[in-house]
Amino acid sequence: MEKPLELSRYCVPFTPFKRKLEESLVCLVSTAGVRAKSDKPFEKEGDNSFRRIGGNLSASDLAVDDSHYDHGCIDQDVNCVFPIDRLRSLARETRIGGLTEAHFSMGFSQALRELRESTIPQLARAVSSARPDAVLLTGG
Amino acid sequence: MVTVQRSIEMLGIATVLITVEPEESAQARPPRALCPRGFVVGHSLGRPNDEALQKRIVLDSLELLLADPKPGEVITRDYT
Repeated sequence: MEKPLELSRYCVPFTPFKRKLEESLVCLVSTAGVRAKSDKPFEKEGDNSFRRIGGNLSASDLAVDDSHYDHGCIDQDVNCVFPIDRLRSLARETRIGGLTEAHFSMGFSQALRELRESTIPQLARAVSSARPDAVLLTGG
Repeated sequence: MVTVQRSIEMLGIATVLITVEPEESAQARPPRALCPRGFVVGHSLGRPNDEALQKRIVLDSLELLLADPKPGEVITRDYT
């Protein structure tokens, strides 16, 4: 049987956004190695798992496991790469509807094939299960 | 990162990426992306504890959801 078709990188997937921001639930997704302090740390030299981050947590409840970029800023304020407190503040001001009950982060990995075939599809399904109206993604 | 974004977008969810590596991100063709010029990896949303600036960048990125679509492009703005 032939392999299923893969999306060419020249083709850009696009879902129209038809809601108002002030009525939308936003989910944060990052590759910066963010997790709840109470959760299992990422392996800094390569980790293909992802972590669920409860929507009730604040930046001060979060840790970052990474050894590939400068941590001078995030050690003071995780919002520099994972703006969960800023989204909550925008929700209080009714600029957005709110935050989803779960957010997500991956860690550092160079196992690209496993990422593509396993981690990223699982992560995308987990994000979809959180039923966001929009997703905000951040790298480091 | 863009691979993650494209996968979520393919499930029918609108996404926007904040990136400080615009050339690399543009090559991977993101559905929507904002590059806040002047910041680097480790503080892509600006200075620590600068709540006003970080909120501005978050809101500007979310407002790309309402803007004219430019799939595959990275929109660069200056915040310094």
